[in-house]
Amino acid sequence: MEIKFIIIITVALFFIALVQLMKIYDLAAKVRGEKSQEKLSRSENLLMANLMLVFMVAFFGFIIWLISKYGSNSGLYQAASAHGKDIDELLMINWYIILPVFFITNALLFGFSWKYYYREERKALYYPHNNKLEAVWTIVPAIALAFIVIYGLMTWNKIMYNQEKGEVVEVYAYQFGWIVRYSGVDNTLGKADYKMVSSSNPLGVITSKTIQDTYVEIDQRVNDIDSILSSNINADGEYLLPEKKVDKLQEEFDRLKRRKYRIEASIDRKDNNSTAYESSNDDIVVQEIHLVKDQPYTFKFRSKDVIHCPWFPHFRAQINAVPGMETSFALTPTITTKEMRSDPDVQQHWENINVIHNERKRRIGEPEERVLFDYVLMCNKICGAGHSNMQLKVIVETQQEFNQWIENNGDKKRLTFSGQEVNWSKTKSQASL
Amino acid sequence: MSHDTHHHHKESFITKYIFSQDHKMIARQYLITAIFMGAIGIALSALFRLKLGWPDDKFPILESILGSDAAPEGLLDSNWYLGLVTLHGTIMVFFVLTGGLSGTFSNLLIPLQVGARDMASGLLNMISYWLFFLSSVLMASSLFIETGPAMAGWTVYPPLSVLAEFQPGSGLGMTLWLLSMTVFIASSLLGGINYIVTILNLRTKGMSMTRLPLTIWAFFITAILGVLSFPVLLSAAVLLLMDRGFGTSFYMSDIVTSSGALDATGGSPILYEHLFWFLGHPEVYIILLPALGMTSEIISTCSRKPIFGYRAMIGSMLAIGFLSFIVWGHHMFLTGMNPFLGGVFTFTTLLIAIPSAVKAFNFITTIWRGNVMMTPAMMFCIGAVSTFISGGVTGIILADSALDISQHDTYFVVGHFHIVMGMTAILGMFAGIYHYFPKLFSKMMNMRMGMAHFWVTIVCGYGVFLPMHFLGEGGLPRRYYENTNFPMFDHFLDLNILISIFASVGVLAQVIFFFNFFYSIFRGPRASQNPWNANSLEWTTPVEHVHGNWIGEIPTVYRWPYDYSKPGKENDFVPQNIPLDDNEEEH
Repeated sequence: MEIKFIIIITVALFFIALVQLMKIYDLAAKVRGEKSQEKLSRSENLLMANLMLVFMVAFFGFIIWLISKYGSNSGLYQAASAHGKDIDELLMINWYIILPVFFITNALLFGFSWKYYYREERKALYYPHNNKLEAVWTIVPAIALAFIVIYGLMTWNKIMYNQEKGEVVEVYAYQFGWIVRYSGVDNTLGKADYKMVSSSNPLGVITSKTIQDTYVEIDQRVNDIDSILSSNINADGEYLLPEKKVDKLQEEFDRLKRRKYRIEASIDRKDNNSTAYESSNDDIVVQEIHLVKDQPYTFKFRSKDVIHCPWFPHFRAQINAVPGMETSFALTPTITTKEMRSDPDVQQHWENINVIHNERKRRIGEPEERVLFDYVLMCNKICGAGHSNMQLKVIVETQQEFNQWIENNGDKKRLTFSGQEVNWSKTKSQASL
Repeated sequence: MSHDTHHHHKESFITKYIFSQDHKMIARQYLITAIFMGAIGIALSALFRLKLGWPDDKFPILESILGSDAAPEGLLDSNWYLGLVTLHGTIMVFFVLTGGLSGTFSNLLIPLQVGARDMASGLLNMISYWLFFLSSVLMASSLFIETGPAMAGWTVYPPLSVLAEFQPGSGLGMTLWLLSMTVFIASSLLGGINYIVTILNLRTKGMSMTRLPLTIWAFFITAILGVLSFPVLLSAAVLLLMDRGFGTSFYMSDIVTSSGALDATGGSPILYEHLFWFLGHPEVYIILLPALGMTSEIISTCSRKPIFGYRAMIGSMLAIGFLSFIVWGHHMFLTGMNPFLGGVFTFTTLLIAIPSAVKAFNFITTIWRGNVMMTPAMMFCIGAVSTFISGGVTGIILADSALDISQHDTYFVVGHFHIVMGMTAILGMFAGIYHYFPKLFSKMMNMRMGMAHFWVTIVCGYGVFLPMHFLGEGGLPRRYYENTNFPMFDHFLDLNILISIFASVGVLAQVIFFFNFFYSIFRGPRASQNPWNANSLEWTTPVEHVHGNWIGEIPTVYRWPYDYSKPGKENDFVPQNIPLDDNEEEH
């Protein structure tokens, strides 16, 4: 309390002193008959002009320092996907065009401001326009931009019109995490619908069984609500519960009924459930993304609640996951996790990261650990409190290692929707079409 | 034009200072409101930068400022972090750089520079300010409610912004946000219509469109952009209110919450994004153009040299204004839009670089062989041109849809738009305040403090936003409450501390400005009529404000406002109301 008081007093005294100083300054100027707030002296103009030059040097120096420290090794290394290399190349070419423009124009700006500072005896050049000059700096940027546009669109088209070729993997986003579903032998994801989502069926996959399970779940909850409401009613037909709670329960009650009706009407096609929904039979839900090197993948994204943005920084891949629509992104990983870890640049960088990481751990009193490079999936669209920790490990490996993973993974993770076990490695050649 | 009859009657305190219809008083009201909002906006950024720079430390100051809900034991809550980010963005974009910048300087300068007694409608102008004031109060008040302000980012994308279940700020905080924005849009539309009408109809004799100062051209194009695009945001906001309150599903479809699937079906959040960015992109130029307009005027005046390429400057502003309506899709490359459409938006977006380059080169050529008076206003203008270039060039990368795949929503974007839009506009606004202070308050601000203010601001501004580009190149997403969940970002711990230090110093340094500003209003030395030896008409008005601006006749205009250092003239400036000599060419 006392400290706060002292701080307030100090600040107040500081400002009072400042006011007095300014007053003296202005009075002195008045006595000398100067309009010191309207006109700068020659030395002040010169000082500011020189500072412009000093600033420019410091400014350029800061950028060069940043580039030398973070530019060549920002932490993402070489792109680990086929299309990522095109993006990186395009980015480099853009930098080669942009950086000289940036340095030259800024140098001219600060340079001229320094060189032509105000001197009473000088007169500025009356130079209102020069059509030739203006044409030059319209046409030259236009040519440079034409190149950037053409090169950029060629890359964009190459990436975006190459979307439907790979093995299909679904990533389902929710607050705050991801669920991954492999499409299995037939390379087709089983149909899913948000109305089917429940704790036992987090992806809302449709099968005859999940439809029945959902009915049971809905009926159960409907009965629960019914019994809560009917057991809390008095003889006059008034509820003993708070009004707000009754409203909420009744709303949920109605909504469940509507949901069941809509499932019956639009999803539960009784005659052909067995065939229409059978592509989910071999789908596999897992907690990590395992990818095979040089295998093309088509990722399909759905969202449960809000907009998320799956972002694979090392693959240079991202696209929004939007509730109500499916988005997709194709990518082919080209470097395995192991290869990446043994790259000398990456190794050196992660040595450094380990030092920093464990310094922090010591500081906050957490156990030290050895962290290794891993590919990662994160969320890149604001989605709520847990936005900054929506992470999923991605592992790129060889076909053998992938088969081994499928083989070794516990029953829980390789269980398919039909309950049967699938030996994926045997059917791989079929699926990769 | 004879309005002589009504500038003599005595005014009461209320009609003079509060419900004033005089454009100069309304400009002051706008400016002071915006300065208060700006203080809140930048203070919020300093607070969340504490968390980003020192993720593990406790800052009791956070708890004492924000309360124990927001920062229990000095550790910022993750929902509140997003709330601070959201309000920082909203306040700076709309309340400081749209309402504050256009509101202040369009109001002050349009009648003074075109030679009019007042705005076309003083009443609408007054209503416009008071709506702005109301919306400012509503927005600021959302900081004081228990569940916190809106937390969905300044773009408030649904469905996140629809249900309080997704984040607490989407409850009452979001309602206040939407109400405030609705009122704000109404204010901005009333203002905009007034500006357009005044510029078109109330120009004095001889003030043809090609003799208008570039400030007026900038305000004119800005007002047109606002009038055409803000209604779209209004519709977006109203539909969002309906989704939140009346069970519609414009933006909602296939959503599952913890209480099961919602009924909403058939809507699309992408619709909201289209509506939002149809305003959102022109909004960038609504912010930038007034700043660039004032920069043109001040650079010319303080370089004692005509603005280079006057017509090219007008042409490029018109081109920027037109193009700004057909580029909004570049914010949405990754929403799953048709790749062909993405290509079209890449093309139109990169086109904007051409008129922007013309403007930058024209600014530089204006300084070339000038006689540069290093007033604080001029220095802020040099800074603004620098940030316009530095932030503009990285825009070329973000405009490229293919590159956007690896840059979208990373800190690269944050660095880019803060430099090109945030800094350029705020530096331009400071330049305007220092330059036009004699017209606003009839006093002079202290120049030396202004210089100190400039240097700290530009150094800290670049110090904060340049490093962010490198965070972005390292893949760091924006709006992360903490970056420590991913070991791959640990090597940025130092850089984040550096950014936070620059941010804190930069924010604290604004005290120099606040002090100088308020001290000078009351105690500053009295200004002379034309302290900067400038040409435009506002400097022919009396120092003390009079209702109707000129005592007696409004001056007639004979020339453009940029006759500085004209050969054959004794002075290095020739005001617009001086007739041409015999056989003198106009320019």
